[in-house]
Amino acid sequence: MAHMEPFSILLLTAILMPLLAGVLLLFGARFSGVLLKVLGIIGFGWPLIVGVLLFCQFDSSLIGDYNFELRLPTGLEQLGIYLHLGLNGISMPLFLLAGVVGFSAGWYALHSKAERLHLYLSLLLFMLSGLMGTFASIDIFFFYFFHEFALIPTFILIGVWGGVGRRSTAMEMTIYLTLGALLSLVGLIALYVKSGVESFSLIELRGYLASQPLEESVQGNIFALLLIGFGILVSLFPFHSWAPKGYATAPTGAAMLHAGVLKKFGLYGLLQIAVPLLPEGAMQWTPWIVWLALGNILIIGLITIAQRDLKMMFGYSSVMHMGYAFLGIATLTVVGVGGTLLLMVAHGLSISLLLMLSTCIYHRSQTFDMKSMGGLAAKTPVLAAFFIAGIFASIGLPGFGNFWGEFTIFVSLAKTEATRWAIIPAAIGIIISAVYGLRAVANIFYGAPHSRFEARLQDEAIVDIKGFERVSALVLIGALLIIGIFPRILSDNANLELMNISSYQSPTNLSATEKVSTSFAEVVEAKEEGLKK
Amino acid sequence: MTDSQTVLAILLTPLFSAVIITCFLRRRGTLASILSVSAAAVICIFTAMAISSSGGEPIRVSADWLHFGDFKVSMGFLFDGVSMTMLSMVAFVGFLIHVFSLGYMADDKSQGRFFGGMSIFMFSMLGIILAENLIMIFVFWELVGFSSYMLIAHYFDTDAAKLASKKAFIVNRIGDLGFLVGIAFAYWHFGTTNLEEMRAAVVTNPALIDWTIAALLMCGFIGKSAQFPLHVWLPDAMAGPTPVSALIHAATLVAAGVYFLVRITFLFPDSVLNYIAVLGTGVAFYAGCCAYAQNDIKKILAYSTLSQLGYASAAFGFGFPGIALFHLVTHAFFKALLFLGAGTVIHGCHHEQNIFKMGGLLKKMPITSITFLIGMLALFGVYGLSGFYSKDAILIAAGFDNKILFILLIAGAFLTAGYMGRLFWIAFLGEPKSEAAANAHEGKIIMLVPLVILAALSISGGWLHFWPQELGGIILEDLKLQKADDHYDHLHHLVLIWGTASWIVGLLGSFFFYGLGAKEDRLKQTVKPLYALLKSRLLIDEIYNYYVAKIQQRFALFLNALDVFLIKGVFVRGSGVITFLTSTCLRWLHVGDIHVYTYWFLAGLILLCALATGVCF
Repeated sequence: MAHMEPFSILLLTAILMPLLAGVLLLFGARFSGVLLKVLGIIGFGWPLIVGVLLFCQFDSSLIGDYNFELRLPTGLEQLGIYLHLGLNGISMPLFLLAGVVGFSAGWYALHSKAERLHLYLSLLLFMLSGLMGTFASIDIFFFYFFHEFALIPTFILIGVWGGVGRRSTAMEMTIYLTLGALLSLVGLIALYVKSGVESFSLIELRGYLASQPLEESVQGNIFALLLIGFGILVSLFPFHSWAPKGYATAPTGAAMLHAGVLKKFGLYGLLQIAVPLLPEGAMQWTPWIVWLALGNILIIGLITIAQRDLKMMFGYSSVMHMGYAFLGIATLTVVGVGGTLLLMVAHGLSISLLLMLSTCIYHRSQTFDMKSMGGLAAKTPVLAAFFIAGIFASIGLPGFGNFWGEFTIFVSLAKTEATRWAIIPAAIGIIISAVYGLRAVANIFYGAPHSRFEARLQDEAIVDIKGFERVSALVLIGALLIIGIFPRILSDNANLELMNISSYQSPTNLSATEKVSTSFAEVVEAKEEGLKK
Repeated sequence: MTDSQTVLAILLTPLFSAVIITCFLRRRGTLASILSVSAAAVICIFTAMAISSSGGEPIRVSADWLHFGDFKVSMGFLFDGVSMTMLSMVAFVGFLIHVFSLGYMADDKSQGRFFGGMSIFMFSMLGIILAENLIMIFVFWELVGFSSYMLIAHYFDTDAAKLASKKAFIVNRIGDLGFLVGIAFAYWHFGTTNLEEMRAAVVTNPALIDWTIAALLMCGFIGKSAQFPLHVWLPDAMAGPTPVSALIHAATLVAAGVYFLVRITFLFPDSVLNYIAVLGTGVAFYAGCCAYAQNDIKKILAYSTLSQLGYASAAFGFGFPGIALFHLVTHAFFKALLFLGAGTVIHGCHHEQNIFKMGGLLKKMPITSITFLIGMLALFGVYGLSGFYSKDAILIAAGFDNKILFILLIAGAFLTAGYMGRLFWIAFLGEPKSEAAANAHEGKIIMLVPLVILAALSISGGWLHFWPQELGGIILEDLKLQKADDHYDHLHHLVLIWGTASWIVGLLGSFFFYGLGAKEDRLKQTVKPLYALLKSRLLIDEIYNYYVAKIQQRFALFLNALDVFLIKGVFVRGSGVITFLTSTCLRWLHVGDIHVYTYWFLAGLILLCALATGVCF
């Protein structure tokens, strides 16, 4: 693959460029505003440019293998650890997602009035660098390493730049997420040890385990570790309690990157590593996943309805939507996992949009309490329009990417007898999310303003959404619309990739399909004959 | 242009208009209105072109849209007789309502938002009509719901619009839940959701008809066509501007539910059809009753719409989808006319909507009043007017099927004449009862032209021989089927007599009961309990509100408390507390005093000996 080399290096720069910009900004206390901005734009913008370029260059004939492969020695070769980068049909969409959300969050942070802005930006850049690395890693060790690399700045960002109650929230989140990461690390190491292949490379592990799968009980145990570990990181019910308060407290940029991208690490780990490598383990645990995911959708969904605080509501809603993602994986079918992948990307875009817009609203209303707002749309029509777009994206309106994700997951649930019952409780979620989403729109933007809010609304200082806020929002809305209008842009390669993974090939109900198509052909023939006569 | 390109152009024209308006013409109301109206005109032209050049032959186009494993979604058109009929109606009535809006919304500050919404609505509605498979129907179905939401919320600073928009979308979502599940089941049952392929499968193997799938898909119809028990959103939706009520909540969107049923008739087993017949008849009767306790001119018309949709779905339930479609078309003509007439009245009376504050409008607004009267008579089913033909056919269908339903539908016709008569006598005749009505003025010419055209269609819309040949197909088939029946002649006469008698009695009855230009509702004064019962609408709204506020919200708060105290408090923080307590206890052991350590040492030694000698066991 010699001709691929420049692009492989490009892939590496998507990780190094934000890292470099971040390191420079650490010493940026005396930098001029312009230099700060230039460094920021390079750091946040470069991964997006690389993401789009690589997306366009992605060669689907290499499916089953990796595009843009790059393998660098690390000095840990005897353990089978290389800095092994590359992208496949599953990781490409997420890599691009990280670029888009990273740019949007970074652009917003660049224009924010955070204290010690250079440090704030620098930590966000470290986070972004880690994110790009996570999804570009073929080596499981680095997959995990980059995740931790992104996670640690998150804690600092919350603890230092967070809102009310940041200390305790940062503490709780640190301990809880570290526990989750630790469990998944134990699982990954167990996988490495038990397989005996002496390599952390996903390619080698996959090849080896396909021919010599682990014992069923071993698979079950390792899968359980990974499920709980990744589950904590993705806020699977009942391991979710860090998330709502965490997102409510985190500074906007960090919340966008974490809720939008970093959180998807766990799901990515499940569908790229855990399920393909441990097919029988996955089979044992899927009933559990279904039940817990329904807990996410129904219990957390109802809790979301009870929220009055806008940011808490989005925190809970992001926990709720993870339920759908888990359900898709639990079907162990190409349809379901494909739906999960689409939903991960779309949800990442929509939740970061909504978290950003809720900060925009806060700057105008000085409160997150939805009940004490009202009538804001009269003063800020464009902000209202963006917010409505975000809400409708998150409640799965066709035209936005989330619809295809959720829809495909619902269809996949009906495919097999085992999960068919779950479709009705799961689909109740579409009502629940409409209830809290539209309630938020109505309470914030419509109707007569609350008595306390009325005076504030007269304030000249309340202006419509500003230029820099528009850029950040439009990038995200645009991406949501592209996926929503033409999902094949992501789904085709993902489909080819998933078709290659044996864990997702459950027996199909082909008999019915054949029945119909043959009978249709018969009717057409009969008609034609009739016409001839 | 090839035929399929023309069809594509029909769909994309309003989308183009909506995108341009949202992106560039938000503050240029006039330009936005011109663009939107021209888009509606272009749709009409393309529709005529597509129908005439296809000559009634179906046009099929399809493209792959999403592909995961054995799940394939395609987007495409099935432009056949049924969709041609519906499309012609929607395109033409839609265009007239767009023109009317030019006058009605001229003073509105947010014209850009309004006309953008109208265009996106046209796009979604046309999508439903043209769609070739269930998934595509669902996509546009949701978009229709969204545009309806945006347009109901047009006057977003009023509490009525704020609540009604939310309610409309959420109630529709409840129906969509069933629709969605139905699609998922249908896909794995048939291996496709393409309408023609499913039909072919069912024709060759009728055992494939599955009542769960039919019942689930029916839920979508119940939500969108506002049938019981999801009818509650439609009267509230009148909070939107009147042209919106005319276009969306009378002529097209609510008809989409019935149209959807007509598209998938072949999936329905008799059990579900019977259920729909009973349901439709019940709604036709129930909504007719509710209309008597309404004072708002638009709400009366809204209940009338509910009732007429009941008739259409009853026709479908009796096994005559063509007649249901026929009633949708004639209903669209006269109900759009009635709503636009009401709009002119409201506009002329300076936004007064209470009929007891109107009166004497016939003199002030003669053209509006006469066209309104024509629409009303068409709604009654006066012999020769459009409503007669479709209603007549529905009643005959009921006569074939079930006596009780037949009587209820005749009673519904009587009720219709009664409440519309009430409206007409009180609002249009007598003396003005408020300053607004006294100063009422006739509408602008641009508003009157659509009224006159719709009045002409309300008269002639039912004369099927004058319809273009491509459009009448399925309707004529069903009528022929009726005529072939032995009981037809007998029933035909029966229906003619009873139908005519019911509207005459209803109209005259309301005249004698309410009188011309009454100031107070006589029913409210004389038969209070009955009025209260009708006003309560069987308390269905109240039950729902009680459920949402008292049960759902409280349960949600309870779960929230549980989450905070149990999961976050006891389990997560609790584990932290245990660690803390353990460490504190262990620290007590390390007191730094040699004596204490000696005692600990002794205690340990004793314990060890005890263990070694087996005293402990």
